[in-house]
Amino acid sequence: MSADEGPGLYVESTIIMTTVRVVAPFVLTFALFIMFHGADSPGGGFQGGVIAGSVVMMLAFAFGIDATRQWLDVRVVAALASGGVLVFAGIGLGAIALGGQFLEYNVYLPYYSKASKYGIELVELGIGGIVASVAIGLFFLLAAGFGHVAGEVER
Amino acid sequence: MSLTLLEGALLVFVLACALGTALLKDTLAAVIAFAAYSLGISIIWLVLQAPDVGLTEAAVGAGIMTVLFLLALANTVTPDADRLLEPVRWRTVAFVGAFVLVMGATVPALPPIGVAETNPVLSGEVTQYYLGHAYKETQVKNAVTAVLAAYRGFDTLGEAVVVFSAGVVALSVLRREVFA
Repeated sequence: MSADEGPGLYVESTIIMTTVRVVAPFVLTFALFIMFHGADSPGGGFQGGVIAGSVVMMLAFAFGIDATRQWLDVRVVAALASGGVLVFAGIGLGAIALGGQFLEYNVYLPYYSKASKYGIELVELGIGGIVASVAIGLFFLLAAGFGHVAGEVER
Repeated sequence: MSLTLLEGALLVFVLACALGTALLKDTLAAVIAFAAYSLGISIIWLVLQAPDVGLTEAAVGAGIMTVLFLLALANTVTPDADRLLEPVRWRTVAFVGAFVLVMGATVPALPPIGVAETNPVLSGEVTQYYLGHAYKETQVKNAVTAVLAAYRGFDTLGEAVVVFSAGVVALSVLRREVFA
């Protein structure tokens, strides 16, 4: 990509905007399916998280990075990242608190009959939250660049 | 060992893309070749019956990495390439060639795909334990997930925290406070 194209990379296109508007909910559903269904079929938190993050990138591709940045609530992204770590570590440490070993899902059995299956799926969801929000974060951080806001680059 | 047409074509495609990534002078062209390489590798993982790895490679390698590389390119000034290919240093070629020969020499020792009896990994005690007990002990049908989230859950927590730390470090390097 040559320098003369500059920061104004965004081109508004009705075709792309309409397509993304229709496709995005399906991609997000697919991402959640990969995360949840990772227990019984290929996939899991890491893969589903990346796909969920790519939904936001798709929106940025269609509606512009700055517009998407303003639309996105940064607190949600931060909450997903730290919440994911807390959920994973919490499930692990909770098992210790109940007298088991780290991540020993079966100590939750008295409280829920399918403890192991749903424990694993919660963990996958946590991983998905971390991966999705870090992918989104890296995307916006790289787009903003170092030390200045995107769109104010001096020629 | 014989290759099917699909496997042969995939290997040629992946090798060509890898060479293109290394040799193309234009950075944008190299990034695109790298994305094609990742996509080819992810299909090879599918052929080798490792769909979990294939899905990861397709989403991370061909998807996110390419977007991040393109963004980095868009935010930096790269000189226009004056020629198609990078100049080749013969000492490097000799070194890399020797490395490829050494690695290639180990390939015939690998067990054939899908044959359980001669496969030391598949017939190993640990693998057999996971395959035999995963569903009963963890209630998930995908043995990969069972190993990832249950048997090796502590390692996976470490992996997830590494991803989290990468995000935090990117924030502090770029001196920003929010993920956007």
